[in-house]
Amino acid sequence: MKEITYVQAIAEALAEELERDEKVFCIGEDIQTGTFGATAGLVKKFGPDRIMDTPISETAIAGAAVGSAMTGYRPVADFMFADFMYIAFDEILCKAAKWRFMHEGTQQIPVVFMAAMGGYLGLGAEHSQSPVSYYMHTPGIKVVVPSTPYDAKGLMKSAIRDNNAVVYLYHKALLGSTGEIPEEEYLVPLGQADIKREGKDVTLVATGMQVQFALNIAEQMKDKVSIEIIDPRSLEPLDIDTIVKSVEKTGRAVVVDEDTSRCGAACEISMQIVEKAFDYLDAPVQRVAAKNYPIPPGAMEKFVLPQPQDIIDAVEAVMG
Amino acid sequence: MKLEKDQLVKFYSLMVRTRKLDNLMIEALNSGRMAGFYHAGPGEEAVGIGACTFNMRDDDYLYPHHRSHAIGFTLARGISPKGWVCRHFDKNPGEVEGPTAEERGIFGISGTIGGGFPLSLGWGITAKKNGKNQAVLSFFGDGASGRGTLHESMNMAAIWKLPIVWICENNQFGQFMPIKDAFAREDIADIAAGYNMPSAVVDGQDVLAVHEAVEVAVQKARAGDGPSLIECKTYRMRGHAEGVPDVDHVDPRSEKDKEAWRKRDPIVLFKENLIKQRILTAEEVSKIDKEADDEVAELDKYQQECPVMVPSDASILDVFLYAE
Amino acid sequence: MKQTVYLMAINEALEEEIKRDEKVFIIGENVQQGTFGVTSGLVQKFGTERVMDTPLAETAVAGAAIGAAMAGFRPVADMMFADFIYIAGDEIMLKAAKWHFMHGGKVNVPVVIMAAMGGGMKIGAEHSMCPEALIMHTPGLKLAVPSTPYDAKGLLKTAIRDNNPVIFFYNKGLLGLPGEIPEEEYLIPFGQADIKREGSDVTVVAISRMVHMALEVAEKLKDKVSVEVVDPRTLEPLDIDTIVESVKKTGRVVIVDEDNRRCGVTAEISAQIFETAFDYLDAPVQRVAAADMPIAAGFLEDYVLPQPKDIEDAIERVMA
Repeated sequence: MKEITYVQAIAEALAEELERDEKVFCIGEDIQTGTFGATAGLVKKFGPDRIMDTPISETAIAGAAVGSAMTGYRPVADFMFADFMYIAFDEILCKAAKWRFMHEGTQQIPVVFMAAMGGYLGLGAEHSQSPVSYYMHTPGIKVVVPSTPYDAKGLMKSAIRDNNAVVYLYHKALLGSTGEIPEEEYLVPLGQADIKREGKDVTLVATGMQVQFALNIAEQMKDKVSIEIIDPRSLEPLDIDTIVKSVEKTGRAVVVDEDTSRCGAACEISMQIVEKAFDYLDAPVQRVAAKNYPIPPGAMEKFVLPQPQDIIDAVEAVMG
Repeated sequence: MKLEKDQLVKFYSLMVRTRKLDNLMIEALNSGRMAGFYHAGPGEEAVGIGACTFNMRDDDYLYPHHRSHAIGFTLARGISPKGWVCRHFDKNPGEVEGPTAEERGIFGISGTIGGGFPLSLGWGITAKKNGKNQAVLSFFGDGASGRGTLHESMNMAAIWKLPIVWICENNQFGQFMPIKDAFAREDIADIAAGYNMPSAVVDGQDVLAVHEAVEVAVQKARAGDGPSLIECKTYRMRGHAEGVPDVDHVDPRSEKDKEAWRKRDPIVLFKENLIKQRILTAEEVSKIDKEADDEVAELDKYQQECPVMVPSDASILDVFLYAE
Repeated sequence: MKQTVYLMAINEALEEEIKRDEKVFIIGENVQQGTFGVTSGLVQKFGTERVMDTPLAETAVAGAAIGAAMAGFRPVADMMFADFIYIAGDEIMLKAAKWHFMHGGKVNVPVVIMAAMGGGMKIGAEHSMCPEALIMHTPGLKLAVPSTPYDAKGLLKTAIRDNNPVIFFYNKGLLGLPGEIPEEEYLIPFGQADIKREGSDVTVVAISRMVHMALEVAEKLKDKVSVEVVDPRTLEPLDIDTIVESVKKTGRVVIVDEDNRRCGVTAEISAQIFETAFDYLDAPVQRVAAADMPIAAGFLEDYVLPQPKDIEDAIERVMA
């Protein structure tokens, strides 16, 4: 095992896949330097033909990646901020997500759309979102949200090898967080949740940055309540079985997500728990998510984004 | 229209104040007094100030850009910089005298590059419908020339003869991307031909040249003769944002190029010109510089005395979310 | 009262509002002719300056309408198919939705983005969507989804007078639906659900075209079960109170919506019912929505979109 940061883990996954498969290439704005460091250093090794800097053209970056994926390549399109992917919604949510289906499975679209999501840095409404729900809602596209360096690397490698469109959203506030990964190659399959901490009283489902909050809270509350933390790691496919199994054991569930609450990931996961484990529930499922507002900048951010105290309150609510 | 002496002095004073406010923000961010983003723009003052100061009416519309967080535009439109300074320090300026940005037709800056084109198109439609000969000045950087919104918006503005002056502040760099690698032609202004729209390429370091080119375009717009495109060649002296690598793709940017452009600093060029033409003496110039220093120090002191902008509860969010 | 059809009710609302307020204008592709007839005939009455045909340019149509709204007009942008709003994701979901908020409430954006949504015409994945969740998930946007000529006219007039961005999705499958509307002017306030049929055993919350499917099923089952059909009419604001009142009476709920299920409208309304009326529920809420796949073209559409049989089955499950 070796110690590595979250952002280095992503860069390492990209480097290994670029090395392994000549069909893999990266395309995006300023990726040769890398705004968040996830693509930094790759151009020195692989050259500008495989690490392609583009003009500011999100629509065309997404569309070009989809096009080259249809025709045999495995592009990784980088959008810098997840907020910028809205500019390419037609390309991502209609073309990448639907064209295989529309053409009766005759096409393969092995593209990865990567971007940095998340708040807690005070960057305001157009640079802080975690827009997972749009992708989770749109059939035909997979969504990956790693919370640790181990997951970040293993999921990126799987995303690149997947023959479908995958949205890979890494969290800006986790870039420098550290963790251990194996020296040798490994993959983390999509659709396999990870139990980040075992417990028996409450099942706490969390992704991305919220996993860190959850782990701190579980430790902090450990004398009062035993919390089991489940990180789905990918929201589509969603490993609902692992979540349901945990809820069958604990009888109580809290679902935490950083995206907006209404029609969000926490809403969907809560509903699936209710639908699949209704008889096991000792209390209504609690969802903790961003409130239904745009994300304000600076100090006001905390009024909208989920805070550790919100998670504690929800745990106490299900414990009654 | 020939500019009067006091107008020339105003150009100089606005550019100096813009530079010094820019420096305040760079210092504050780098010393940790301020949090967040700052996209400085020293050396690009002549474009916004030359274009907006005397060519715009109070009821015109303006889409500025993110460089120097539009402080040059703010000053040129006669808006108090107090709100601008306080906002950067998360301070509440209270009621500030003078027009608000909205009253001067500035509705914000898009967090996504190229988001300003369609909005400006909308203001152009408004201006035409209002029938009061209003004009829209819509600025964009060279980087935004990559966006598809540019085509859609310029095309419609042209076919409908909307009173929009598109102004490209070509500072030669997107974040890490040199425009020579991001646009197929040397001059972005060349795209105007495709929309049957007049265009001009001007020296963005020359505040008078910018003023004059925009003056012609604004007059055309007000006369109902449709949009124009003006490209102002300038140069980005610092990184895209403070703390972000200042690179050309991955390599450090050319110091030689920077040095050459530093010699063409728009404030220095204009100052020398004013002194040479005996419009101002060296002493008078120093006095203006000193006044600007004092004003910026005063603004910094003002923001320090203002309360922190944190509402006691989240109810303000509902006010922000929906209008009555 | 007078007899009209759904599309004419929309047309009438536009005509009345254009006549009433000189700040109202329509902009969009082919609005002078009117692809679905809702804007037809208006250019002859109001001229090309107020009924503006544009090139094919959805991004700029939406953005221009939003810009004009900021600057004092009340534009109605017609996007033709609801599927085309994806092309203007940045403009609608970041600019229209957030700019009032981002500028401390100082910039008003009184724009209506209207488009035809819905399936049933078997025209495939990119012309049949009901992208309601996309809008409902995005804070700052209001969403009206009329199911009858009466609602269509009254809601559109309210939408145009609202000082916020409103997405008005009319349903392609209802264009020719007849119904009565008053001779005199009327408005329908947002956030006011309508009980389309009273009943006592089960609450069916249905949206847009699904209201009619629910009514059909209610009629069919009337000897066995008394179905109450509640139509929220606007999804944001959502009149959860009327829904919960009905649930308190019946104890059983089925939610029917034509958008995809995952992170969809049915998930959100179900979650809100669980959160506010858990103790009144005699059975888990059932959601009926489009399957989580793109909408297939041709006869395969029936396998994706909700069918009367799905509603019937769901009612049987909650009654069991």
